[in-house]
Amino acid sequence: MGVALGIDLGTTNSCAAVATPTGVEFILGSRAERVHPSLVAFPQAGGVVVGADAKRFRLTEPQHVIHSAKRFIGQNIRAPMVQLALTGIRYKVIEGPNQQPVAVLRDRRMTMPEISSHVLLHLKRCAERQLAQPISDAVITVPANFTDAQRQATKEAGRLAGLQVMRLINEPTAAALSYGFGRDRDQLIAVFDFGGGTFDVSILRLQGEIVEVLASDGDFFLGGDDLDRALAETLAAECNTVLNFDPRPHPVLMMKLMMGAEAIKCHLSENDGAEGEIDGIDLPTGEVGSLPFSLSRAQFEGLIEGYINRTIEVTRNVLVQAHLTPQHISDVLCVGGSTRIPIVRQRLAELFDREPNYRINPDEVVAQGAAIQAGSLSGSIIAGTGMGARDAVPTEAHSPLLFGGAPVPQGELKRPVLLDVNPATLSIQTAGGYAERLLDKNSPIPIERTRVFTTARDNQTRVEIACCRGESRRYEENEPLGTLVLDEIPAKPRGDAKIEVSFRVDADGILHVRAADAESGAAQEAHLQVFGAPVESA
Amino acid sequence: MSASGGNSASVMMWAQRIAAKRGAPAHELLEIRATATMDEAQKAFHKIARVAHPDLHRAGLSEDELELLTAAYALVAGAYQTFRSQPAPAVPAARAPAPVPVTRSGPAPATNASQSMSSKALLYYRKAELALKRGDLKSAVLQIKLAIAADPQSAFLRAALTEIESELAR
Repeated sequence: MGVALGIDLGTTNSCAAVATPTGVEFILGSRAERVHPSLVAFPQAGGVVVGADAKRFRLTEPQHVIHSAKRFIGQNIRAPMVQLALTGIRYKVIEGPNQQPVAVLRDRRMTMPEISSHVLLHLKRCAERQLAQPISDAVITVPANFTDAQRQATKEAGRLAGLQVMRLINEPTAAALSYGFGRDRDQLIAVFDFGGGTFDVSILRLQGEIVEVLASDGDFFLGGDDLDRALAETLAAECNTVLNFDPRPHPVLMMKLMMGAEAIKCHLSENDGAEGEIDGIDLPTGEVGSLPFSLSRAQFEGLIEGYINRTIEVTRNVLVQAHLTPQHISDVLCVGGSTRIPIVRQRLAELFDREPNYRINPDEVVAQGAAIQAGSLSGSIIAGTGMGARDAVPTEAHSPLLFGGAPVPQGELKRPVLLDVNPATLSIQTAGGYAERLLDKNSPIPIERTRVFTTARDNQTRVEIACCRGESRRYEENEPLGTLVLDEIPAKPRGDAKIEVSFRVDADGILHVRAADAESGAAQEAHLQVFGAPVESA
Repeated sequence: MSASGGNSASVMMWAQRIAAKRGAPAHELLEIRATATMDEAQKAFHKIARVAHPDLHRAGLSEDELELLTAAYALVAGAYQTFRSQPAPAVPAARAPAPVPVTRSGPAPATNASQSMSSKALLYYRKAELALKRGDLKSAVLQIKLAIAADPQSAFLRAALTEIESELAR
């Protein structure tokens, strides 16, 4: 088997790397950039432009530049959070088959997996050029709280890009693997992953080569994009007051304000204040105006406080799920660009009573972990081979990955064993509208569990097994996943039939359901067709 | 394959043994005694994962063998989860420390705190008391919630939580 690529497919940026016998090597773009914007442009002039080169089209023709596709991949377009996210984009999205969101570009319609496949294909091509060999295998990371449909859609994107997706792994787990690989120690860590579009927090135990997730939680619709939008809205209001012109109905202008907001946010991470003007605002009078702004870090923190509170609340909650207190945690890894914001680090330090670890590179650590897992699965990481990543910073001398340019340690490296978890409770509907749990949240995967159910009526020969995802005891308060029908059950008095329902979650976090009549052996197996998931092409 | 734990033949023997036990109680799948503690279950599961995790055997096995191994591993993971989701056994009351009043002002609750919670929950409960003494109601609420997570059955803890939360609301 050849080299396998580890890919962090992000909302805003993506990053790819491979594990080689001498260390982790990042895949560079045409300008030697390690971090590739997850942008796919279909410019007026024709063709498809991906990554850093697509950035310039955001200002000239924002309606043809797809960004944040990860927010919509594998989603049901009718879901309220999706509708809300749609208000924040400047390209057109309509409802496609199976309620999936479909982007409309002039006469073309493209599904979200198709769009993401362009980003993956771009990374694949960069890697093939850099490594001078064809690449067909990859490990792709996804947010820990991604649903079944989102995982399926991400795999589909990989397939469309000509990649054999060996495994989907959760982003915080990848970060922990990158941090823990090669250290032989027993410790409890927290991974706080606050990226461009999603937020995850995981608690893990590192024990020798075992990387075990104890609990994981997050918010799929919370990320740096939201912070930018909060700031852009403020700038828009300011524009309305100062220039007497409301930019909100104008996509090009709002995109300009969003990009300005992003720049101001980044500036405020390094400085106490930001002052300047946003130029090139086309006014209805035909003039070109400019919008002055002056913002202190404290004002910005006030704007985003609600979002930050939410991340801290989720973090407290996940500790409770792991039956731990903040004092048990011996290191807190900051992953994702939004952890650069000082108030985020400050709040984390308060919660854990220790400085979070920001010596790791928050943009690259996930891809690095994916590359290690890809190397492990493809067998390119073998015992006796040291690994050292250039520029992966921290100090622990015995940890090969955290080695900054010093000689690579030699000696036996065991292949990592990832014990990841199922992010949400999976249940079936039972009489009375209750949700009967088959697989708990935070169960180790791959996993299989079987429970026996029975019929509710006399001579019932058919049961419908409705599956759902969520923590409520009431079926309708959870997210429906799909329904499996088992018929040809032998007619019996109610309560006599024995129907075995098995839930199996594979190592990618995808659910497979099986139902069988214990006596006749009649069985139905389903790969649930979930709303928003890509439609199986026959 | 020596570095990745266990040779293929012995791993496949294990997988066949487990597959034959489909439907057996959790401790039989984990091959530990019925009265094993959560700690012992975790150790057993980790030991299995180190040797038999399907990811370690992608190269050494045929597709059918890998499928059988994955199925056996998934059954054992299910058994481990069964252990994890069982409530922790409560400690005998005689060994637990004496009860302490829960709020700064109110009278000591009639229930004997230590009789009604597990040793782990008691640890958090003690931390809650310390927080209350400092006047830090928010931390106290958190600690009590942690105690409840450790011992969801305890009515005493729930009552304490309601009491502190109502005080916090004032």
